[in-house]
Amino acid sequence: MAEVIHKTNKPLQVNPFKLSQPMGATLAFLGVDGCMPLMHGGQGCASLTKVFFTRHFCEPIAIQTSAVTDAVAVLDGGDYSIVESVKNITAKVTPSLIGLHTTGLPETKGDDIRGISAQIDYPLVYVNTPDYEGGLESGWAQTCKALIEQLVEPSKKADDNKLVLLPHVSLTPIEVEKIKEFIEGFGFKVSALPDLSTSLDGHLGDKQAALSSGGISLEEIRMLADAGLVVSVGDSMQAAATTLLKKNPAMRHEHFPHLQGLAATDVLVEMLLAETGFSGPPATVARWRQRLQDAMLDSHFALGQSRFLVAAEPDQLVGICQSLYDAGGKVAVAISTVDSPQLKKIKAEKVLVGDLEDAEQCADCYDLFVGNGHCEALAHRLHKGLLLRGFPNWEQVGNQMKNDVLYEGGCYFLFETANETVRFFMSQQSGTDQAKPCGNEHAGLQ
Amino acid sequence: MASKPKIKELLDESSCAHNQNRKVACNAPTPGATTGGCAFEGAQISLFPYADAAHLVHGPMTCLGSSWETRATGTSYSRRDLTRMGFITDININDVVFSGEEKLAAAIDYIMTHYAPEAVFVYATCVTAMIGDDIDLLCKQAAERHGVPIVPVHAPGFVGSKNLGSRLAGEAVLTHLIGTKEPEETTAFDINLIGEYNVSGDMWQYTPLLAELGIRVLSTLSGDGRIAQIRTAHRAKLNVLVCAKSLVSLTRKMQERYGMPSVSLSFYGKRETSNGLLAIAEALGDLNLIERTRSLIAREEAKLAEKLKPYLLFFKGRKAVLNTGGNKTWSIAAALQDIGIEVVATAVKKATEDDREKARQLLGDQATLMMNPGAEQARIISETGADLLLAGGRSLYTAIKQGIAFADVNQEKKKSYGGYDGLLNLAEDLRNALQNPVFKNVARRAPWQK
Repeated sequence: MAEVIHKTNKPLQVNPFKLSQPMGATLAFLGVDGCMPLMHGGQGCASLTKVFFTRHFCEPIAIQTSAVTDAVAVLDGGDYSIVESVKNITAKVTPSLIGLHTTGLPETKGDDIRGISAQIDYPLVYVNTPDYEGGLESGWAQTCKALIEQLVEPSKKADDNKLVLLPHVSLTPIEVEKIKEFIEGFGFKVSALPDLSTSLDGHLGDKQAALSSGGISLEEIRMLADAGLVVSVGDSMQAAATTLLKKNPAMRHEHFPHLQGLAATDVLVEMLLAETGFSGPPATVARWRQRLQDAMLDSHFALGQSRFLVAAEPDQLVGICQSLYDAGGKVAVAISTVDSPQLKKIKAEKVLVGDLEDAEQCADCYDLFVGNGHCEALAHRLHKGLLLRGFPNWEQVGNQMKNDVLYEGGCYFLFETANETVRFFMSQQSGTDQAKPCGNEHAGLQ
Repeated sequence: MASKPKIKELLDESSCAHNQNRKVACNAPTPGATTGGCAFEGAQISLFPYADAAHLVHGPMTCLGSSWETRATGTSYSRRDLTRMGFITDININDVVFSGEEKLAAAIDYIMTHYAPEAVFVYATCVTAMIGDDIDLLCKQAAERHGVPIVPVHAPGFVGSKNLGSRLAGEAVLTHLIGTKEPEETTAFDINLIGEYNVSGDMWQYTPLLAELGIRVLSTLSGDGRIAQIRTAHRAKLNVLVCAKSLVSLTRKMQERYGMPSVSLSFYGKRETSNGLLAIAEALGDLNLIERTRSLIAREEAKLAEKLKPYLLFFKGRKAVLNTGGNKTWSIAAALQDIGIEVVATAVKKATEDDREKARQLLGDQATLMMNPGAEQARIISETGADLLLAGGRSLYTAIKQGIAFADVNQEKKKSYGGYDGLLNLAEDLRNALQNPVFKNVARRAPWQK
């Protein structure tokens, strides 16, 4: 089992790749159709968040700020800022929902956003997401929990054909869509909460969007409790699932720490077969499984000689490391933004909660980075290979369509990683003794 | 507390033209209807380009997590480039309750031990300002411990806009750095470049020309800047304020304190660049220098004209609509005119009176100054037959609907549009945009649409 270091003893973060709770909350609200995320804090938090996601997704991002100033911070308990914000937002646009989330500033002075929200006569969901606690993943998860708590109507009947998917923050829009379609292939009607697959999937709309342009509808959220089954993906989403179960005692829950690689997808298929009583999956699913087996063999030679450093949010970290491990990739170091129950499951020689300075200090023990855009400068300086995953990625376009999950995405992930590995070693060795992507042709499997 | 700048004074800047009409400049933001960054972001933008200083954010993760490595400010610093590093105390709930002072002191020590920068800027943020951490005292003690300037920057986000933050950064530099060191030598033509951040290498487009003229950049705030140099800034003969109204308080105070005159200019477009170079020479007041500058300008303009020839031919008869804000409303317009594109409209909604006046002069009576660009631009494109829309990403839809080319003026640019040569980059990018069939192609109707 890997050595796990849960806490750093440094007094600061150097080259952090951690992101804040309110940013995760914003993103979750952007997965609700026609929503206006309202960040309660100084104007900069919302402004920086907007620019951050705009550059990552290459899409306009809807967000507003309560623009708390120093004077207001002292005099106001949040009532004025929030009530005014709602008034000013609704004077210009008509959101289906206002997604109120906090930052460190109002939490420090102790604004009672629950009480204030009760005074507001407009559809609104509030969530406490101080940025001095947690991170991107928990901000997203708490928001999902708040959406359930405050919107979902309790139900007693359970529709066995209806399934609620609760995806963790690092699943890309296309990944959420692929998981939905995969489950729908077994005859279920699937609702994802939040659902970025129809909002930030990078589609050309008819007009400029002042609100989130897609996602799960408010009506659909209200009716989630009549589903027979809730499926959470990522340990951060467990609490949201538990909250949903409270809305309907007849509802059942299945949890998956991640959906990357052959074994994890097999577990999902087993569950779906058991639920439906089907004797086998749809033909395409079986075919993709064979393709993934082949992809693992095609990429194993390149991956088997490579050592990785993976830096990611916990729920994504465990999936990436498992995928690499399954095909022989050696994860020398896995760095997580925050602590999580996931860390002990990670297949790596060393697992720690840390920053990219930690990555730099053990530069001898890996060849390639898997991580966000902040790894780029580092990879360049340390002469390492790089596979970009997570937020932010400002260097590349198409982030919303990177698909690493299930049998299908597993193939793309392994091919991309193996090819990057080979490109890296070739650039290192420049002509001599080049690595080959394929080793022995997989005689055994034909 | 004495070192904390008085925000009210800064807001009421006497050198600001628009302050004569409005009593409170840059007024408070409206909840729920505010765009634009905060004071912290403004301060960071102004100081981050110092590659030999560490920039330590004392606050929670949003402040730095979303903001570091967002700006490509080039540096020639040969040691580890600290502009591409992020330092944050990442305070937690414990720090909020029991103070983050101990952590901050330890963080400064950590940075000095491991990275030995020439200075450390310590940024207060909303939360640490709120909990009342005594950053001034900690910085003072740390400076004594380590023997380098440890500069407190009091621009927590909630005190105001990006612009104010930039002023506050100027205050911090004035209080803690400028005048703390003497230069090894001085020349008659030493200048400071203030407000030039060298985004995508902008200043390198014109600094070789300054060098050729014998004008020495003694220090910058802060593009390709060094701490040792800004500490000697008080010995320059002239402050050159580049495209940055926010730092006018700093140059005014340096005028008062050191008798240093200043000129305000931009290096965007041919005419601006030429005017700028000449303005510096004239302000330095040497007849021979002015003469040399005139001939250099003539030479560079001729060189540029030669290189622009194919573009002028290509752009002949092309019209553009510009939808941006601030000084870009006219500075980009001027650059477009320089490369032979007619500007039929520019948005002045987010511009000062000065900017509007400049835009009117540049564009002439025929052009439209749009007060409500969102609603007006589509109509103007149809009426004038414009070929190109330069705007923020949200206007992309307008361009596609009109079937014309689009260029994102807010996009982080990869190459510089500054100086004479930058104009060629702009021309090349816009020619590519105009030649790109993508805007027409994506507007194709789907087979199932009538």
